[in-house]
Amino acid sequence: MPIDQSRLHRALNPSSVAVVGDKGPDYQWLTNQKHFTGELYSVQLDEKEIPNIEKMGVRNYLSLNEIPDEIDLVICAVPRAITPYVVADAIEKKVGGISMFTSGFAETREPEGVALQEKLVEMCTDAGMPLVGPNCLGIYNRKLGVKFGVGQEHGEGGDISIISQSGTHGMGMTNGAQSVGVKVRRAFSFGNGVILNESDYLEYLTNDPETSAIAMYLEGTRDGRRFFNVLREATKQKPVIIWKGGRSTAGTRAVSSHTGSLASSQSVWDAMLKQTGAIGVGSIEEAIDAMAVLVHTKEPVGRDIALVAMTGGQSVAITDQFENYGFNVPELGQDSYDRLAEFFTTVGGSYRNPFDAASTIRSESENLQKILEIIADEPIINGGVALEFRSRGFEKPEDIESILDLLEQYRQKTGQPVILMMPTFGVMTGDPEEAANVRNRIVDRGFAVFPSFERGAQALSRIVDHHSS
Amino acid sequence: MNELITAARKRGRSQLNEVEAKDLLADAGVPVAKTRLATTADDAVDAAESIGYPVVMKVVSSEIAHKSDIGGVVLDVSDADAVRATFDQITTSVSSAIPDAEIDGIAVQEMVPQGIEVIVGATTDMQFGSVMMFGLGGVFVEVMKDVAFRIVPLEVRDAKQLVREIDGFPLLQGARGTEPADLDALESLILKVSAAVEENPEIAELDLNPVFAYPDGVMAVDAHIVLTAEDD
Repeated sequence: MPIDQSRLHRALNPSSVAVVGDKGPDYQWLTNQKHFTGELYSVQLDEKEIPNIEKMGVRNYLSLNEIPDEIDLVICAVPRAITPYVVADAIEKKVGGISMFTSGFAETREPEGVALQEKLVEMCTDAGMPLVGPNCLGIYNRKLGVKFGVGQEHGEGGDISIISQSGTHGMGMTNGAQSVGVKVRRAFSFGNGVILNESDYLEYLTNDPETSAIAMYLEGTRDGRRFFNVLREATKQKPVIIWKGGRSTAGTRAVSSHTGSLASSQSVWDAMLKQTGAIGVGSIEEAIDAMAVLVHTKEPVGRDIALVAMTGGQSVAITDQFENYGFNVPELGQDSYDRLAEFFTTVGGSYRNPFDAASTIRSESENLQKILEIIADEPIINGGVALEFRSRGFEKPEDIESILDLLEQYRQKTGQPVILMMPTFGVMTGDPEEAANVRNRIVDRGFAVFPSFERGAQALSRIVDHHSS
Repeated sequence: MNELITAARKRGRSQLNEVEAKDLLADAGVPVAKTRLATTADDAVDAAESIGYPVVMKVVSSEIAHKSDIGGVVLDVSDADAVRATFDQITTSVSSAIPDAEIDGIAVQEMVPQGIEVIVGATTDMQFGSVMMFGLGGVFVEVMKDVAFRIVPLEVRDAKQLVREIDGFPLLQGARGTEPADLDALESLILKVSAAVEENPEIAELDLNPVFAYPDGVMAVDAHIVLTAEDD
């Protein structure tokens, strides 16, 4: 159904929110809005709940219509049988839109739930009411502090926005992105998607000037033709990462052609991703990894890369992974080798590319700077540098910032990506708490850091493909 | 609606036979081997004379999937006497193999030189509607399932990527000393089939198997179209 875009915009960027039917002991939905920058109201009839709600400093009313202010967004958390009354009140009050957490609709496949959902759809369609869900976590808006999980950050900024059919994965992708230093501008968990579906949210984010990239979790699409067209337009303007869950063969039908017998729904989905230029991923880890590279590296285009490992064994392993994902690890020019020969420890080390650099860096910490300067000057390298970090434990906590300064200089000078890897199964992983601390400092400085060579190589490869296609 | 499809529907058919499918595609600009349907031996001779010898003769029936297995295809038929004899021979061997098969007639087709065999097809996906498939023919498609897909309508870039996506692509570039296939012609054929599928929503499935790819040009040698159910 065509939704009025200005009304949708009002609902997704509210100055006033009413939470209907929130319950103790934790008052999940009111608590989620603790940092909301606009006016927050509660609607609750239950006399046991009202005092606690008022204790939270939230004004409670007995119905939506009693609220003196205009309401841009209703968050509905009432039992399913009550939802038609809430929707009727919301329509009468001319609210901007409704986000419906309540579940128990068509997803149950029971006649009662199916019928109830049909009733909501009819009411919202007639009223032109933007409905998010039902059976969803709804809306996260970083700037306005509208949240569906207390762990979601609030404030300025935002690199990426998320659309998820599943609430769990919408939350997981938001939290995961935050943990790798990616600021999520908006997230939509849309559940049953009966009024607003994946294509509507994608269209909205395509036109949202504050969203520079999009990540989606989908299990399928309701109207594939429209999704294909909307996605094709979206990728012309910003990168779109798509994690598809489910490899179901549902919908298999009788075919009497060769072509029909070979066209699985998965092979067609994969073709759709290639044709639209979307970045397809197969798990939440891959989705987060791709986001990290997308946000933390400037448009990488080259595949000739320098690899810096800390032992001989790791220099083989890192090379295998990067070559496996289509990178070249070229020999450097004679000029570079001459400069390296002046200081590099070749007993128990090597500088051919890959670098086996631990002994050289340990003996004199300025040597890392020299190595990075030589790589930066090396014309054959166009894909940046990938480093094994801290697997030998010699980077002292007090040195981390200055090492990150050097990497920042490399990045500024060359415009090429810097990928860091702290392998979980390294030689000397050391104190896990300290390792986590180092990781956070890397992330805070805006670098992508991965727990294995493979994940770093795969993520960088995806983004190189995206920028060069 | 395309008149060939209308006519097939009128006769209660859910498919276009080889000759009808080729006619529809030829009208859409797809290069197909010249083919005419004959229902009598005299018809067959007329067809062969106008096409030029030698010809290929094939049984035309929507009920027969593997026509060469039952003696339904004869190559290199070189004069009028041979055409008559072959007409009877095919009729006899098909009816002894599948006595109840409904036969539309015998197709008389120009004899084209062997090229690199590829398959170009279309089908209907539940989510995305019409999609096209490309692959190398023979064992590559049968056993290796080395095929790639794109959603209709294809743009020029999609056709280029589709052809290059299969693992066997080096064979089209002239591996092992053979001359490279005419990729421009192949991409153009794919785009014309895409346009034909888009223009005729009644096409549910389509196989061009094989298409011969030559150093200079391409040609569809066999064709089969399945129509959507009437009330779709």
